[in-house]
Amino acid sequence: MRTPPARRLRNALAVTLAWTAVCAALFPLLDMAALVARHALPALRWKVLTTVTSGISGGLANAIAGSALLVVLAALIAIPVGVLGGTFVAERRSGAFVRTVRLAADVLAGLPSIAVGYFGYIALVQALGWGFSALAGALALALLMLPYVVRTTDYAVSAVADDLRDASLALGVDPATTVRRIVLRAALPGIVTGVMLGVGVAVGETAPLLYTASWSSFMPTGRLTHSPVGYLTYVVWTYINQPFAAAHALAYAAAFLLMVAVLMLNVAARWALRQRS
Amino acid sequence: MPRHRRLSGWTVAAAVGAALTPLLLLVTLGVLFVSAWPAVVWNGFAFITKSVWSLGNLYGGTAIVRHGFQAPEGAVYGALPYIVGTVLTSLCALVLAVPVGVGVAVSLAEHARGWLGRALGFFIELIAGVPSVVFGLWGFIVLVPWIEHHAGPDIAHVLGFLPFFRGPVLSGQGLLAASVVLAAMVLPLVAAVGRDALLRVPREVRDQGRALGLTDWETLRDLVLPLAGPGMIGGVVLALGRALGETMAVLMVSGSGNAIPHALYSPTTTMASAIVVDLDSAFTDSTGMAIHALAELAVVLMLISVVVNLAVPFVGQGVSRVAAMMNAGRDAG
Amino acid sequence: MAVREVADGPGGRPIATGGAAGLDGALASPRRVRRPDDPQGMARPAVAAEAAGTAPADGGGTVLSAVDFHLRYPGLHALRGITLDLPSSRITAIIGPSGCGKSTFLRSLNRMNDRIPGIATQGRILFRGMDIFAPQVDPVALRRRIGMVFQRPVVFPMSIFDNVAYAPRIHRLERTSAGMWVRVERCLRDAGLWDEVKDRLRRPASALSGGQQQRLAIARALAVDPEVILLDEPTSAVDPVATGRIEDTLLRLAGRFSIVIVTHNLGQAARISQHTVFFLGGEVVEAGATEEVFSQPRDARTEQYLTGRFG
Repeated sequence: MRTPPARRLRNALAVTLAWTAVCAALFPLLDMAALVARHALPALRWKVLTTVTSGISGGLANAIAGSALLVVLAALIAIPVGVLGGTFVAERRSGAFVRTVRLAADVLAGLPSIAVGYFGYIALVQALGWGFSALAGALALALLMLPYVVRTTDYAVSAVADDLRDASLALGVDPATTVRRIVLRAALPGIVTGVMLGVGVAVGETAPLLYTASWSSFMPTGRLTHSPVGYLTYVVWTYINQPFAAAHALAYAAAFLLMVAVLMLNVAARWALRQRS
Repeated sequence: MPRHRRLSGWTVAAAVGAALTPLLLLVTLGVLFVSAWPAVVWNGFAFITKSVWSLGNLYGGTAIVRHGFQAPEGAVYGALPYIVGTVLTSLCALVLAVPVGVGVAVSLAEHARGWLGRALGFFIELIAGVPSVVFGLWGFIVLVPWIEHHAGPDIAHVLGFLPFFRGPVLSGQGLLAASVVLAAMVLPLVAAVGRDALLRVPREVRDQGRALGLTDWETLRDLVLPLAGPGMIGGVVLALGRALGETMAVLMVSGSGNAIPHALYSPTTTMASAIVVDLDSAFTDSTGMAIHALAELAVVLMLISVVVNLAVPFVGQGVSRVAAMMNAGRDAG
Repeated sequence: MAVREVADGPGGRPIATGGAAGLDGALASPRRVRRPDDPQGMARPAVAAEAAGTAPADGGGTVLSAVDFHLRYPGLHALRGITLDLPSSRITAIIGPSGCGKSTFLRSLNRMNDRIPGIATQGRILFRGMDIFAPQVDPVALRRRIGMVFQRPVVFPMSIFDNVAYAPRIHRLERTSAGMWVRVERCLRDAGLWDEVKDRLRRPASALSGGQQQRLAIARALAVDPEVILLDEPTSAVDPVATGRIEDTLLRLAGRFSIVIVTHNLGQAARISQHTVFFLGGEVVEAGATEEVFSQPRDARTEQYLTGRFG
């Protein structure tokens, strides 16, 4: 006795539709990757990576250095705060404070990045008088990264079995040292994944940086305030709108570098997760 | 029971770190509200009802004074077109993203196991990490011309009897382009959350269906999806939240229209884009009201996003954006 | 550091003869406990100082005792008026059906139950005569003296060597790395694991089998020089061959440490323990020398349990 053909047909149709969806979902990514690679690879000479932008052409050195500076600074702020905070919340487990922190992290994760950038402009660039600066940009990015680091640390530490904690306590080791030496070590793969996630968010942002870090055609000067910096995402946005082919080439090159960075971060995050087992 | 709680420096540091999250959130909200206040007072409700937005005469003229606050001559801050633009692009994005995202979720959870599922999952997750400007680049170079020359005219031809789908198609930059780009960007969220929701349905349910002689599709439709549904809705709400806040990609393909979009091809502007576009000019406003007005725009956008994101725990069974993005990295099947 | 001299006692069993048991006032907090009347934290509990100079010369003393000890969870009176003595340098088995409170009692002995919210206790538990719930007692320091091995094998995410060396490092028990190597080897030998792991001490402990991980847990517990080792059904999650190895280990350790083992396995209790306590419904029904309890139980319920009529 076989299933009637009408039902089998509908089943086949459903499977086909599902796979069509997968193709539709992947198409933009693949088309985008092909587009960017096609235009960027011819343009990527060593010279491009080592000269700064000047006018509508030149190189990407300042943008690369600026992006790196901003992300590193943001990470230096967001990672310690996020890991410490996430660990605290996961160990504490319950209570009004814990609920508040978790809720705040979720809300913060949902804030439009332009709003965070605007806050950066008003509070840091203007009110604190930092001017367009790497520090203002980094702080805006840190605000965007923070909820991801907090929550993933929270999940990772919460997932560590109590058995492990008990075993350490039974050896006469105090709770704080237990957390530092045993729990965090066990949660490390999950924490690293969260950090990669946060860094990925920071690398790809533009809007919050437009009015905090602004733009500079020069290499970062080392002054963290009163000195704007460039970043790769700006190049993609502005230079593609220019009517010059040289500018377009730079935009594609910058897009290519960004995609490679995101790819590497994702691969690293997956690798870190696999370390868990 | 006596307990010796030694407050080590680490514990204090960790508590401070935890406290910084809500504190920073409050500071951000506070600064934005305070900055927006003069505009809120000056505009009143006209902010969300008027449909003309102009920064006014920034180089001279006499300032308009209302309730003690000044604004340049000719300034009108009617944000309705931007609000509609934001909501409409996001909703249209969902119309596209939800079916595709659910389809992907089903494929990942039900059909593709083993290495294929993992590979597909990796690529879907990769989409979520692509910077928004790169999506905008692709949209600008590939999507917009395609809409202008192919998709737009075709849709207008077929569905043109409905006013919303009637032409003219114009430049291809507009609501449709923005919606497609947004849909492409947020669908990993729908897919990841959807896949997790499906995987959480116990295998006994599927076994039961098959034992009753149902096809896989029937099992899915009648037994599994109803159980996974509530969880999947969380993903949809998360996707909406993300779409509402998106800036750059939309800016690059939406055409910067100033009127309320009335058709699929109308150039439109979202609140986020409007802030980016106008902020340069706003600097030159000597009364400073332009800055306040843009802050008000940011506040309204923020309120809408926060409300949507806050709805997630209630609607979607404990899903969160962070969890969704983390789970997208987990192995499928 | 504690030095135990071992000699042959009655019955051919090794017993401890002299040498300080190493209490050295360490029941009190290693960092000074400051109280309002003692701002420098100079006071030490008198009992601990007294005990530091003398250890029981033979195995006949009592290392742990409970005096009318009650424990309540929210909604459950788990331990009711427990009064018993646990002999030192012996193996005591605590037997009883599931849910009778054996594990709860065991975890009270090293104050592991402190971590559970809503717990309330009443009565006293004495470790070498001193109330472990007294305010000046630091539970963290207590757990160095009274170690515990759990039911499911637990290994820290580190190498085998680091697992054993973890706690001694934190407590700074060795000044040189050579000293630490000696300590780790000694504990692994005592736990009967040395020969199997001596060539892969730097490999992750997670690669060991379940039975090996349990012996590692024993080695880890030994590494901090405890006086008492508590074991909570240590072989229930482990295969029979490994069970035998672990029982042999415990027998070897018996004279040098006081061992309390909670077990479901009556054969195990009969094989390795000298003293047996039977728990039922949160109370002690019977306690005494293992041979007597097993062959001539005084209480009818004990007899019923031993013959398998319930539990």
